[in-house]
Amino acid sequence: METETMRMLAAGLCMGLGAIGPGIGVGLVGLGALQALGRNPEARGPIMTNMILAIAFAEAVAIYALVVAVVLIFVA
Amino acid sequence: MPKKGCLGCSFPVVIGVSIVLLALTVISLLSGALGSSFFGDLGLPSWLTVPKPTIQLPAETVFHLFGFPITNSIITAWLSIIVLVGIAYAVTHRIKLIPSRLQSLLEFAIEWMLNLCVDVAGEKNGRRFFPIVTTIFLFVIMNAWLSLLPGFGSILITNAEGETVHLLRGANTDINMPLALALISFVFVEYHGIRSLGGWHYMKKFVNVGQFFRSLGQLFRGKLKAGLSGLFTGAIDIFVGMLEALSEIVRIVSFTFRLFGNMTGGEILILMMLFLAPWVLALPFYGLELLVGLVQAIVFGGLTLVFATVAVTPHGGEIA
Repeated sequence: METETMRMLAAGLCMGLGAIGPGIGVGLVGLGALQALGRNPEARGPIMTNMILAIAFAEAVAIYALVVAVVLIFVA
Repeated sequence: MPKKGCLGCSFPVVIGVSIVLLALTVISLLSGALGSSFFGDLGLPSWLTVPKPTIQLPAETVFHLFGFPITNSIITAWLSIIVLVGIAYAVTHRIKLIPSRLQSLLEFAIEWMLNLCVDVAGEKNGRRFFPIVTTIFLFVIMNAWLSLLPGFGSILITNAEGETVHLLRGANTDINMPLALALISFVFVEYHGIRSLGGWHYMKKFVNVGQFFRSLGQLFRGKLKAGLSGLFTGAIDIFVGMLEALSEIVRIVSFTFRLFGNMTGGEILILMMLFLAPWVLALPFYGLELLVGLVQAIVFGGLTLVFATVAVTPHGGEIA
């Protein structure tokens, strides 16, 4: 297979497989936050702040995969 | 009979806006890449078609100043500095006890950040960390939101080598700016850790050889069983200390790529949506970009704050 094809394939696989983990992770964070909110609606402020922080952490791994995919297509 | 309306506007206005939106949707579907793959080449005038976007990751230099190449992202960073200083000057040069509207807006933002700092870091440390954390937050958010203004990427200029480049480009999309912010954050965290705990006590978190040598001493004194188990714990302590040091360094990389990836990914997404269906498809993604800019600024500032709080906590304290 030629390099161009391999590069496209690699970029697609990288982003696709790299988004599985963070997708599940963000869903789990949302689950925890919603359960905590259901138990204690008064603690809405701290729960939401920490949820946003944890979502950004989990999202960052998907962003690393995106960066690798973009570098594969446009730079390498 | 009261005038019935929809969404606060009278019916003719709503109908007019819907017709305009429908027309824009039809034009965009026809003239974008989606249209040309369905209907073939329709021969639309050149001002309706969108060329395939060329995405360039390194920022292009616009001119040279004393031998330094000035890239378009630096120009945008200067622009956001000018906007931030301008807003601050306009609000504070005639500051009133009963605030005007712009002053209340800025007071809301500053007070929100101050509450966040004090909530996370405690009263004294919160005020000490507040300036840098808020500066990082405001700078990142201004960089991110300025690049969403209409017409931002359309100003073209020919640089010294004769190429036509964009004059302005979002400063967070050049990897050097997030790297610079991450380095500032790293130095800030280490400085406050060393200043609060004392140099040697802070380094003990990473070079955790106390338990190891203590158990060696126990072995030499003849207490074999306690010595051996302490030796094992000491070895684990040393290993964990090295991992902590490594994670401090990796934090720089993680900060950089989180901000850079989010911003560049968002910009590429909007470019691709503009290419597919020019007028209409990019609108939801503009909203997403607004939200992502805000969240990334909060995350960068908030994480700096959290790491600084962990760094000034004494070694025996609970490390989250």
